[in-house]
Amino acid sequence: MNIRCAAPDDLMNMQHCNLLCLPENYQMKYYFYHGLSWPQLSYVAEDESGKIVGYVLAKMEEDPEDSVPHGHITSLAVKRSHRRLGLAQKLMDQASRAMVENFNAQYVSLHVRKSNRAALHLYTETLRFSISEIEPKYYADGEDAYAMRRDLKEFRDKVEFGLNADLDMLAVEGPQVDLVQQKTPE
Amino acid sequence: MPPKNPLPPKESALFKRILKCYEQKQYKNGLKFAKQILTNPRFCEHGETLAMKGLTLNCLGRKEEAYDHVRRGLRNDLSSHVCWHVYGLLQRSDRKYDEAIKCYRNALRWDKDNLQILRDLSLLQVQMRDMEGYRETRYQLLALRPGQRASWIGYAMAYHLLKDYDMCLRILEEFRKTQTPKPYYDYEHSELLLYQNLVMQEAGMKEEAMEHLRSYDKQIVDRLYVQETTAHLLTLMEEHEKAAGIYKDLIDRNPENWAYYRGYETAMHLNDKPDERMELYKDVLEKFPRATMPKRLPLNFTTDDVFRELIDDYLKKALRKGVPPSFVSIKSIYQDPSKVKVIEDLVLSYVDNLKESGKFDSNGEEEPATALLWAYYYLAQHFDFLRNEVKALEFINLGIEHTPLLIELYVFKAKIYKHAGDIEEAVRLMDEAQSLDTADRYINSKCAKYMLRANRIQEAADMCSKFTREGIPAVENLNEMQCMWFQTECAFAYKRLGKWGEALKKCHEIDRHFTEIIEDQFDFHTYCMRKMTLRSYVGLLRLEDALRSHPFYSRVAFLAVEIYLHLSEHPLADTDQDNDVNSENLSPSELKKMKRKQRKAQKKAELEKEKQKAEQEKKDQNKNKAQDGEMDGPKEEELIPDKLARIDDPLEQAIHFLKPLQMLTPQCVETHVQAYEIYSRKGKLLLMLQSLKRGVLADRANPQFHTCLIHFLQYVQEQRELPGPTKTVIDREMKNIYEGKTALQLNEEFLASNANSQEHRLAAARMMYKLDSSRQVEAVKLATSLEGHLTGVTIQNCISVLECLCSGELGKCEQEAKDYQLLSHQRFPYATAFIAPSPSSSLTTNHSEQILVNGSALKNES
Repeated sequence: MNIRCAAPDDLMNMQHCNLLCLPENYQMKYYFYHGLSWPQLSYVAEDESGKIVGYVLAKMEEDPEDSVPHGHITSLAVKRSHRRLGLAQKLMDQASRAMVENFNAQYVSLHVRKSNRAALHLYTETLRFSISEIEPKYYADGEDAYAMRRDLKEFRDKVEFGLNADLDMLAVEGPQVDLVQQKTPE
Repeated sequence: MPPKNPLPPKESALFKRILKCYEQKQYKNGLKFAKQILTNPRFCEHGETLAMKGLTLNCLGRKEEAYDHVRRGLRNDLSSHVCWHVYGLLQRSDRKYDEAIKCYRNALRWDKDNLQILRDLSLLQVQMRDMEGYRETRYQLLALRPGQRASWIGYAMAYHLLKDYDMCLRILEEFRKTQTPKPYYDYEHSELLLYQNLVMQEAGMKEEAMEHLRSYDKQIVDRLYVQETTAHLLTLMEEHEKAAGIYKDLIDRNPENWAYYRGYETAMHLNDKPDERMELYKDVLEKFPRATMPKRLPLNFTTDDVFRELIDDYLKKALRKGVPPSFVSIKSIYQDPSKVKVIEDLVLSYVDNLKESGKFDSNGEEEPATALLWAYYYLAQHFDFLRNEVKALEFINLGIEHTPLLIELYVFKAKIYKHAGDIEEAVRLMDEAQSLDTADRYINSKCAKYMLRANRIQEAADMCSKFTREGIPAVENLNEMQCMWFQTECAFAYKRLGKWGEALKKCHEIDRHFTEIIEDQFDFHTYCMRKMTLRSYVGLLRLEDALRSHPFYSRVAFLAVEIYLHLSEHPLADTDQDNDVNSENLSPSELKKMKRKQRKAQKKAELEKEKQKAEQEKKDQNKNKAQDGEMDGPKEEELIPDKLARIDDPLEQAIHFLKPLQMLTPQCVETHVQAYEIYSRKGKLLLMLQSLKRGVLADRANPQFHTCLIHFLQYVQEQRELPGPTKTVIDREMKNIYEGKTALQLNEEFLASNANSQEHRLAAARMMYKLDSSRQVEAVKLATSLEGHLTGVTIQNCISVLECLCSGELGKCEQEAKDYQLLSHQRFPYATAFIAPSPSSSLTTNHSEQILVNGSALKNES
């Protein structure tokens, strides 16, 4: 399955995948809100005919309480017919790295239903999230949620390396005008 | 210009408070202040106060009063920009954008530099894609507020959307020069730069775009975009080695993206060097042993022994680990028959060996017991794909015997039955699968979908209700959540049941979702300029422009057209209930009983509905109280099935559904076939011709389109005198399309070039008989052949043939229909459509009709 960053064209098919797989659903406008506020953060997995078989819909927390910039997973789904390919992890890794690169995110958070043991297992075992607190009655039907977090340090290390590597490569291209320095303050 | 009737200081202060209340959504208070002004006899007709009162009422959902007040206010003060502005806002809230634009323009005549009105006007202009108007308005905004970021961006974007890249870039660059980026993570500045870069690329300025990326590299945080774009630009500039290097980095970053491999291969010209090509995948695999792409992609381009070795390894690993999607992951390989053979031989040999020794082959290690199970599962999918349902069932049953409670096996067994044409058995199995894991919505959705395919609509809704919000009917919640797959399947199910009105209701609901989604962009016009996510914003505008090209729309649009065409020829009589095709099977007493039941159910449903409506109104009122009632768009007219089915102008309705597709999917021949069908019923000669012209470009060889071509030829000949200019056009165009051939010649040619396709043969047979009824025997033979070499022999196509035989389109052929049903039954033994009714249930005298009933139960399967 192909994994790539989601474009505006994908949002409607992500909604379709969400409606097939998960009980928490959103109208299109909410997908647009994600895609137009943080276009780098959502990813899709598609099959050979271009059908979306999994996605992660992600955002940055706006005005975080702890004033630490961090990402948030709004929704993550993989069709049952495409499980055991490791897609959830691959989608999450790409989204996490993008959070760090674009928004300097320190960690990523998400909510999971207390009763959803399968998801809980995925998040704790495979994706290395840990429970940060319990949010009582988080869901519309009154169920509690686990608030979970994953530190993004491993991606932060990678990114710094990545950035320098890029700069080195481009430096070989010869002299360039640095327009930032050229500019005179007004 | 001063208002016509200035208020004295006290009233003027009150008026300002009305405005403030409106802004802060304190509508009740706003009305109070308005009352204080209007109860004074001297100001009871004060235009602006009346207008503001109307606007406030509108926010409380009191639409009619709102219009009364605003219009009265405007009449009393036609030269007030406030009154015009308010009238525009009111129209805008009803989505009458063209009217609203006119109002704003009038408002600007009296106050040409009013920022708020200019901003509101610009939003409507971009929403309506009046880009020239947008550019003018944005220019005024820039002139008035040159210090604001949005002024520059908006003005530049206007030029971008008008494809004046040069001007757009000049404005952006002027603006950029004034910006000082923050030293770290200045996301908005980074987005600005990348927007600039996007415009350069669209303008074809490859070198400049490249240079731009280099110069500002440190200020851009979207590293992925920089890498992807750099690689793309380098490829365009034929700097292949550099491009390849960056594609390699991209693979490191995300080894599961096939575009990066393709990019690397193109850059390194590897397409005809399989050995070097293979090196790439070996390297990546070494670095990322868990990546799937380097294992999957070589299966596409390798052949013979190399392929055998790779697929052997791939399959063994998959079966050992037990990966359910291992078949769907390599489905595209099945286009190559020689590879299919290799796979089949391998997996069959695994099964033999596993049974015998527990190993895949003689020199391997012992495998887990589940390996055999997954091999069965794989083979079931393999043979299902090859449409060998007997073998597919054999292997899936072996799997179930091996592990009786694995859900995937039941899901797939259901699918085999669905493909084999026995939807009832498919539903039973899917329901069983669903019952094994009721917490999984995916299985639940699949089960509901199968139920809908079997026309069991209520059951499907009940199934879905396990995952929809409690307290409201599932169908309502699914509509609110824009769940289009469900609504589409419902529409088709209702159509198969002959419930035209219900089917149309679903089509309209989906059409409304699309309208709503187009509406959704409104808020983003301002939002994205603030957030600077301009690339995505442009992406949104382009998406919205072509939104109805999405298959979710075209599927129901075609369905709606089909139903409206049917209704235009068979309008419902006053006494008709929505037809229920199933009733045709019933004896008179059963029919009576059913009708009685239906009436009862209907009464109950009506009562229920009234109750719900009352509750809903109550809820709405509460909601209004709670939030001081803000209305979200205009209230839409309720969709009433019976009314929809009895519409006066079905053909106009059909055009309404088809219009967007004519604009957006001209490459799809079905669009033009349907257009032709509509216009031929309206007798619009030139529009018929237009549909043909477009269809020829899309796919002339399409069987349905072929029948349109022949129909037109005959239709024109039947016309007596045509008006001169029409005749000239038609003669000229027909010469291009038909090249002077007769209908008969056309049909013979069509047949000759598609002689092995069942669908084409049927179309040719229909036309053959239509043109010359003495050739009935020949035509029937042509249509009913099921010889081995024919392509496209599917259940659906055989049903089409059978329906054609029953409908009399090939003349009277009762015996032929019976024979064909038997023949099809032999070919598709599981398909219920071809099982002749047992003698006991066959009380009906009209056998052909019985066949048709069975047949239509499966129509529109896809």
